[in-house]
Amino acid sequence: MKTRITSLLAGLALGSSLIFVSAGIAGAVAPATGPAGKGVCATDAATARNDKTIGALKAFANCEINRRFATLNTLSGKITASKGLTTSDAAALKNEIDSTRSGLTALKATIDAETTIPAVKADTVKIAADYRVYLLVGPQVHLVIGADTVLAAQAKFATVNTNLAARIATLKAAGKNTTAAQADLDAMNAAVTAAAGLAGPIPGQVLPLTVAQYNGGTAGPILTSAKAALVSARNDLKTALAQAKACRTALKALK
Amino acid sequence: MKRPVSTATRLAATALLVGLAAVACSGRGNAAGNQAGTTPATAVVTTTPEASPTLTVAPTDTAVPSDSPAGIDAPATPDPLDSDLSGIQNLLNGVNDQLSGNDPGSAGGE
Repeated sequence: MKTRITSLLAGLALGSSLIFVSAGIAGAVAPATGPAGKGVCATDAATARNDKTIGALKAFANCEINRRFATLNTLSGKITASKGLTTSDAAALKNEIDSTRSGLTALKATIDAETTIPAVKADTVKIAADYRVYLLVGPQVHLVIGADTVLAAQAKFATVNTNLAARIATLKAAGKNTTAAQADLDAMNAAVTAAAGLAGPIPGQVLPLTVAQYNGGTAGPILTSAKAALVSARNDLKTALAQAKACRTALKALK
Repeated sequence: MKRPVSTATRLAATALLVGLAAVACSGRGNAAGNQAGTTPATAVVTTTPEASPTLTVAPTDTAVPSDSPAGIDAPATPDPLDSDLSGIQNLLNGVNDQLSGNDPGSAGGE
């Protein structure tokens, strides 16, 4: 019995170890201790390990489900609060969160109704393996919001380009040397194009990923690649913003 | 050398004096009437001080708007480029938030 419970907990812990494999670009981060953090269920896990009762196992399972509900609520809030997310991508993400929440709700009811320890253990493994809230759903939400936000910034940069180009034209017509300002503006536009090129494909790559693909090992590399692309796009946006400010400064010096 | 003054001349001179006296009396009568009714002397005095404050208030009035928010805002018209760049910075912060939130380790393990 002890071996079985230990292997069950180890199975859930496997997800935690996968985090560090799939985190990729992200650096070491201290474990979360909030409502959605994995440390939340440490006490229930210890009790299940020591008591070896069906009640303790159910309590641990319910704790794991509840912290996923908390995470899903947080993700829903991020979707709602996002200023760059497109309507269609927001709808797709909401659907995924809703279906995940529904599935976990049904699984919770199943666990509550179980009468044997092996059944509870088998159901508990499904909490992670059948929904992948932290390894798939969460990254999907963050990556799609991030990518759409980059594209929203591209639209803003188009306005900035129009503004700065008009100022350059005015000063150039007045006989000023606008070479440096034009170079800054060109660099801004190049960086924006690069950022959009990196971020544009991300939603299409990430949104269709399924739990089965994640468990089969094909989704993880796609998520890792998408995150690398988003990091590069973010860096390009930073460059573009710096170039826009440099262009404005150069133009002010000409007045 | 000395000419005799004719009656007609005397009458004309008398009529002129009477006329002048009548005009003089008429002017005094009006001034007295005003003074008795609305104290024109005071009015004259107060009119002058009122005119002075009005003159001093006028520059004050023009000075007040220069100290008002409208007077401050006028030269500091916001550059639309500033709001655009600020908006881009906010979006960039949003991307950063998603990248930090995308770290599964910060949300809890599977």
